[in-house]
Amino acid sequence: MKLRDCLAYASGMRTDELVITSAGTMSAMWWDLTGDSEGTFYLEASMSLVSMFGAGIAMGLPQRDVWAFNGDGAFCMNPGCLMVERQMSLPNLSHFLISNRCYGATHAAALPNASHNDYVTVARGFGIEHVFCFESLADLESGLRDAVAVRAPKLIVLEVEPPEAQLAVTPLEGPEIKYRFGRHIERSNGIRIFQHGV
Amino acid sequence: MDTISRIVDQVAACDIKLVASLPDDWVAPLISAIDGDKRFTHVPVNREESAIGLCSGAFFSGTGALALMGASGLMTCIYAITKINYSYEVPLLLFTTLRGAIGDPRHHHISNGLYLLPIMDAISLPYAIVDSSDKAPLIAKAYEHTLTMNRPVVVAFSRAVLKGEA
Repeated sequence: MKLRDCLAYASGMRTDELVITSAGTMSAMWWDLTGDSEGTFYLEASMSLVSMFGAGIAMGLPQRDVWAFNGDGAFCMNPGCLMVERQMSLPNLSHFLISNRCYGATHAAALPNASHNDYVTVARGFGIEHVFCFESLADLESGLRDAVAVRAPKLIVLEVEPPEAQLAVTPLEGPEIKYRFGRHIERSNGIRIFQHGV
Repeated sequence: MDTISRIVDQVAACDIKLVASLPDDWVAPLISAIDGDKRFTHVPVNREESAIGLCSGAFFSGTGALALMGASGLMTCIYAITKINYSYEVPLLLFTTLRGAIGDPRHHHISNGLYLLPIMDAISLPYAIVDSSDKAPLIAKAYEHTLTMNRPVVVAFSRAVLKGEA
């Protein structure tokens, strides 16, 4: 299964979900597909904290669904994030794990133990009861809508091929992402985020 | 009012609702007090970097947040702080401990005593030191400063304060 096909499908069914993307391929491809500069936070300057960042948003905005796209390279740096997610039990957070079995952002460099890593079992070991694993586009198309609709802690693993080429990085700098994303939430949720000297 | 209660009240007065923590033994009583206080949602985390991610995300929901950790934990967060909070200019209030300072009997915290403050200086991370309970109002000033500057600010507590002895 190709990541581009997965993301194209996910972006097509997306309505008003807030999206957090991780460093490298995921961010570049999501930008390439959607050009979204308001409802997506491109958390490229980070490894392993996408789902925690998304959990912080989801906790404070229970009326809003949040999709956090992690890479398996980043996930392996902080699998314990699932302990926190299970404990927080946020119904509106969907943690996607892009499993390409390599460090996709760095020319598909080798990920340790790649062929043996069983992310589904890891998640279940931390008590995540709703774990989905999609290995084909057909399965994704028939199951993704139900997966994100689960109102409980969940991990959605997407088994995809390694990236074929490096995409251009998102042409947005940190503060621009911050204000576009934050202003979008302010407008759409009727809340104040920026209250100091802006 | 005891020192821990005074610190907790200062945090609440900042309208902070989320506290993400990972303990060392100095901050354990403070964490316990926050955990039992209905003014806060307390989230114990698996590692200190997760607190950085969680609290930084909370900012975008309009939720005031505090990341609470020991000095060793803060030392592990340089990457997360400089990447997330500096790159995107996301405010963040952090509490930490002055482990390894004069009076700390634990040998294994010597490195914190030697390097915590120089490292915060090296990455231009502003901090306020609370080494007596009458300095607790610095918490509100630090929180206001992080929101104003769009950079993280640390409040570092001495052992005597956290043990209620100063």
